[in-house]
Amino acid sequence: MSVILSAQHVSKSFSVRQNEDVLALRDVNLDVYEHEFLCLLGASGCGKSTLLNMFAGFTPPSQGDILLRSIPITGIDPRCGMVFQSYALFPWQTVRKNVEFGPRMKGLPANECRSVAGRFIEMVGLHGFADHYPAELSGGMQQRVTLARSLAADPEVLLMDEPFAALDAMTRHVLQEELSRIQRESLKTVVLVTHNIDEALITADRIVVMSPHPGQIKAVITNDLERPRNIDVQLSPAWGELKKEIWSLIAGDVSLHAS
Amino acid sequence: MTSARDIASNLVAPPDRTKRKHGSSLRDRPIILLNILGVFAFCITWALVTERGWVSPLFLPSPFKVASEAAGVAATHELWWAIAASSLRVFLGFALAAAVAIPLGVLMGSWWPAKALLDPLISLLRPLPSITWIPLTMLWLGIGEAQKVAIVFMGSWIYVLLYTVESTKRVDPILIKAARNLGASEFAVMREVVLPGALPGILSGLKVSLAIAWSCVLSAEMVAAQSGLGALIWSAKDWGNLALVLVGMVSISATVLVADLLANRLERALLPWERHRRQN
Repeated sequence: MSVILSAQHVSKSFSVRQNEDVLALRDVNLDVYEHEFLCLLGASGCGKSTLLNMFAGFTPPSQGDILLRSIPITGIDPRCGMVFQSYALFPWQTVRKNVEFGPRMKGLPANECRSVAGRFIEMVGLHGFADHYPAELSGGMQQRVTLARSLAADPEVLLMDEPFAALDAMTRHVLQEELSRIQRESLKTVVLVTHNIDEALITADRIVVMSPHPGQIKAVITNDLERPRNIDVQLSPAWGELKKEIWSLIAGDVSLHAS
Repeated sequence: MTSARDIASNLVAPPDRTKRKHGSSLRDRPIILLNILGVFAFCITWALVTERGWVSPLFLPSPFKVASEAAGVAATHELWWAIAASSLRVFLGFALAAAVAIPLGVLMGSWWPAKALLDPLISLLRPLPSITWIPLTMLWLGIGEAQKVAIVFMGSWIYVLLYTVESTKRVDPILIKAARNLGASEFAVMREVVLPGALPGILSGLKVSLAIAWSCVLSAEMVAAQSGLGALIWSAKDWGNLALVLVGMVSISATVLVADLLANRLERALLPWERHRRQN
C-alpha cells in the first residue's frame, strides 16, 4: 500500500496572548495509506481537528511538514476535500447546484457536471431532493449533501471533521453505516475525526488514538472487525474487546480534562 | 431538529411549503378589518371638521375638495406627468447609485486596503443631507434633469455602499473556505460565494435608500424644477391651492408605496432560497 498523505514531525502552537503559546500538537508522525479509512480519535483538546485542518491546508504546521504524495502542502488544496461539521452548504444554491460546484470549478461542461452531481446525489440517497434548497432539508439530509458535494469534487483524500456530531443518535448511526458503504464503493481515502469510539469502530480500517496536552499520538490500532459492521458485529465479543482496549487508552484523558 | 422527524424526512416526501400560510389567514382577518376602520375613521373626522366649518378651508380643504381636485389634474394628465417625471429621476439616480456603490462596497468589504483608504471620506460625506448638495450641483449641472439625478445619487449611494460593505463582511468565512477547498479561484469565490452571500443585505440597503431617494428628489424639485411632484406641490402652494398640495402629498405616498411593493416583489424573485425562512 502506498502512502498518500503524511505528517512528519508536525508540531503546532497557537498564541493565546502575547508571549503565551499553547502547544496543540507535538511531534506528530502519521502516514495515511491510499484507499484506507482512517479515524483520528481522542478527547477534546488532543489536536485531532488541528491535524485535519493542516491536512486541508487551512493552517500551516509550526514545525514539520504535511506531505501529499511526498510534496508539501502549502495552502488550501482541493485534492484534500473537507466535509465540514457545520455542513457549509451554499444556502442560495439547490442541492444539485451545491453538488455540481466542484465539477463546475474544474471547468467541466454543464451536462457533465449535471450527470456527476446526479450520480452522487443518488449515492447518498437524496434522489428526488435535487431541486430543494439546503434550508428545506433536515440536518441529516444536509450532511448527506455535503458528503455528495465533496465526493463530486473528486478529491484524492476526503477529510471529515466530526461530520455527524450535530445529528441525533439514530440518524448518526444510519449515516455511519452508509459512509462505510460509500467508502468501500468509491475506494476513496478517508480521514475522519471523531470523539465517538463506536463511530471509529463502525467505519475505520485503522484508528489513531490521540491524547491531549499537548496533542500527540498514543496508539495506532488496526480494526479488523468484519464488514459490514452491522448490529451482529456490534454485539460480538471482538467488538467489545476492541472498544474496551480503546477506552482504556482514552479514559484517563477524559477525566483529566473534565476535572 | 427532532430525531423522529429527521429520520422520517429521510424517507418521505418533501416538506409542505403551503401549510403555514393557510393557518394564519383566519387570524389576519380582524387585523385587516381594523386597518380599514382606522383609515375610515380618519377620513370621517377630516370630512366632519372641514364640512362643518370647524376648520377654515384656508387651512385645510375638505376631502371632497381634494378628491375633485385630484380628478381634475388626473384628467388633464398633469398629475401623471408629475409622477412620471419624479419616478424617472428617482430611477436614474438610484440605478447610478447602485451601479457605483455595489461593486465598490463588495471591494471594500472583501479587501481591507480599499476600506482603509475610503472610510474617512465616507465618514465625512455621510452626515451631509442631500439638500446641502443643491447649491453645488446647481452650479455644476444647472437646474435640469442631471441636477435632480445628481441629488438623488448623492442622497442614496452612501446607504447602498454601507449596507453592501457590512453584508459583504458578514458572509460566513466557512463558506469561502469550503469554496476554495472545492477548487474555486479567488474570482470564483467572489462571484459564487461573496456576492450571493451578501445579496440579501444589499437588497435591504437598496430598499432603505429607495425611500431616501424619493425624499431627495422631492426636495430638489421644490427648490428648482418645472416638473415633478415636488414642483407640483410647490407651485400649488404659491397659487394658494391647498387641495392640490394635498393631492401631491397623497400621490407621493401612493407612488412610494407602489415602488416599495415592486421592490419587495423583486427581492422575492432574486432570493428564491429565502422563501423557506420567510414562511417560518
